[in-house]
Amino acid sequence: MIDVPYAAHRTVRVGVIGLGNRGSGMTTGWSVVPGCTVTAVCDIRADRARRGADGLAAAGKPRPAEYGGSADSYTEMLRRDDIDLVYIATPWEFHYEQGKAALLAGKHVIVELPIATELDELWDLVDTSERTRRHLMLAENCSYGRNELAMLKMAHEGLFGEVTNGHGGYLHDLRALLFSDTYYTDAWRRRWHTRSTASFYAMHGLAPIAAAMDVNRGDRMATLTATATEPKGLADYRERFVPRNHPSWNETYVNGDLVTCLIETAKGRIIRAEHDVSSPRPYSRINTLAGTRGIFEDYAGVVSAGGGRVYVEPDHSGHAWRDFGSYRKEFDHWLWKKIGDDAANNGGHGGMDYVLQWRTVQLMRAGLVPDIDVYDSAAWCAPVPLSVMSLAAKGRPVQVPDFTRGAWVNLRTGLDSRTTEMPPVA
Amino acid sequence: MRPAGLIGSLGAMAVAGALTLVPASTATATAPRAGAGGASAAPVAAEAPPAAAATQVAISAVDLDGPAISTVKVTVRNAGPERMRTLKVSFAGPVGWAVQPSTVQVEGSLAAGASAEAVFRIQVPERRAGFTVRAFTATATYRGGDGAGTATATRTQRSGTPLANLAAAYNNVGVTDESATGPGDYDGEGNSFSAQKLAAVGLRPGEPVTALGATLRWPNVPSGTRNNVSAAGQAVTLDGTGGKLVLLGSGVTSGASGTVTVHYTDGTSSSGAIGFPNWSFDPANAHGATLVASSDGRNRPSGYGNAGIAYRVFAHSVPLDPGKRVEFVVLPANGNVHVFDMAVAP
Repeated sequence: MIDVPYAAHRTVRVGVIGLGNRGSGMTTGWSVVPGCTVTAVCDIRADRARRGADGLAAAGKPRPAEYGGSADSYTEMLRRDDIDLVYIATPWEFHYEQGKAALLAGKHVIVELPIATELDELWDLVDTSERTRRHLMLAENCSYGRNELAMLKMAHEGLFGEVTNGHGGYLHDLRALLFSDTYYTDAWRRRWHTRSTASFYAMHGLAPIAAAMDVNRGDRMATLTATATEPKGLADYRERFVPRNHPSWNETYVNGDLVTCLIETAKGRIIRAEHDVSSPRPYSRINTLAGTRGIFEDYAGVVSAGGGRVYVEPDHSGHAWRDFGSYRKEFDHWLWKKIGDDAANNGGHGGMDYVLQWRTVQLMRAGLVPDIDVYDSAAWCAPVPLSVMSLAAKGRPVQVPDFTRGAWVNLRTGLDSRTTEMPPVA
Repeated sequence: MRPAGLIGSLGAMAVAGALTLVPASTATATAPRAGAGGASAAPVAAEAPPAAAATQVAISAVDLDGPAISTVKVTVRNAGPERMRTLKVSFAGPVGWAVQPSTVQVEGSLAAGASAEAVFRIQVPERRAGFTVRAFTATATYRGGDGAGTATATRTQRSGTPLANLAAAYNNVGVTDESATGPGDYDGEGNSFSAQKLAAVGLRPGEPVTALGATLRWPNVPSGTRNNVSAAGQAVTLDGTGGKLVLLGSGVTSGASGTVTVHYTDGTSSSGAIGFPNWSFDPANAHGATLVASSDGRNRPSGYGNAGIAYRVFAHSVPLDPGKRVEFVVLPANGNVHVFDMAVAP
């Protein structure tokens, strides 16, 4: 499915599986993208599907069909012939099964992180995408972040020289939410911390670095080495803030607070991907990219300058960081120039969600090649199982599968795309 | 090993970098040619060219309308008397631009007068605003042929228009009044020349400065405003003919040196190395520069200070082709090089 364009769609009709915190917000986002309509919604809890449908109807959108009430309600929804794209925002353990089912039903699929958590599942999604000729992509909103895209374009311009290393991750103090009785249904996300030691969710920081290194577009991730600190953060939080009668007191947390993956690419670059949701700290995805002529660091500069700081030769000297602002302006991605205002008004996460949704719909309506394909998605999610394997081997390097089967050597465009118009809505 | 499966339309595409032998337009074939596009084709026998002829390397035009992946062809012609063997062709673009592949190995050998064509793909970024000069280099290494063993070609492509003059490139505040030192940042640490102390040694806004045979001019702008260029490869229009280009400036931190490229109205260019000593601590003749003026002390963010220490301005030059008219100059890509003016000298 490399370089395979979508068939052009006059209107993109979306079916949503999972209307929890994430899914309900994104459902609204899909409904406001020009040329996109939500035709069906599904949740294991029928009342959520009903609320989702009510919300769209109240906003003046066509009322979508509702599915729910059981774990396999989605299979009934997938039998509809008025769905072009299935958006999946369920707990991680359901992503693989639901994503594969949607592909087999002939739908294109966009899945929240991760698309799967096991290597054989990742391969199966690649195989199934190829067999069905349908695209499946990770809903990696951070790949469309304004700073991330500017960083990518700066890398392609050569401002960092030869890129040698990058650092990304997901550092988000989720402790309060993980112990909330209402935020994650049935505490599904906390339960993952009782199952294994893994880098569950580093993709938000890993994917932009991988894109800037042209992973799967001239380079590829080759080996991965993982380390993990002791699992202390959640137990410490529970000890201090969670009542003794809370069900979490029956749990033992095994996932390390900070899981770090060192990934070496075929061209010898190094990526450091971190995951920590169990420690007190301000939010960061890190977003650091460095090369022979300069470096960019996000989450380190003043907010008015886009939150980043930069040092690139020959523009800079004197060993002092400079504000990122002027670079962000010069290398602003066309998507943000075009729909940045709409994104700010319509989307969560600083507008990244809307840019992801708008661009996905545009690609489908215009019949273009996806920016993010199943190979990217599988590669970015592979550190989940690979970190488990490396940690089990006391940090020994493990091979990262080449999901492209050798095609990674070919240069091709991706997120650094050409300006394109959204087809007019009839 | 997991068995391979379908991978899409490009899965079966040949990897770029394929090489074909092409007939040389000046060669006279005396043997059957290889099949079209045959990378391992039998060499084409040809009439031997003059013994002194050198291997010719040519780079096709690069489509710079990015972001895109552009295809580039490099043609190597064996203009030497001997058969060319073990030919390798490498190609590179501006730093950071990915190339696939970086080297192509030519199978077989090339008869005298025959050519080989190597195909590369290069990642081209979005076109930048303003003037850019993009340089591409192809190198052939071989045995036989003209006996030189290596041949290189460079292709430069321009887009946009050079800045109208050096003032249009001013990006740094290098001189402040002793009563208002705040705007200064000559060295990246908030320090700057003192306008009063420079005037005391003859450097006043708009007044001429003679150095290395050139008549330059001290920037005619008020103190505390941008008055010099921290070099970053800017292209600046300059009209004139002469024997050398003189630059007036000094360095910050260390290693304030780089290449100045002069482009002429006939489309050709020449280049030369320049360097300036640090404005304070290097020997005055470092990098081969010539001291022009030495002022006492400097302005710091807190006010004038460092009295007794010299802060200096230098001149350096690069040779010009005296038979050609200068059209524009590309400054070094080194921010440590600061330039106040430049002029053509006889």
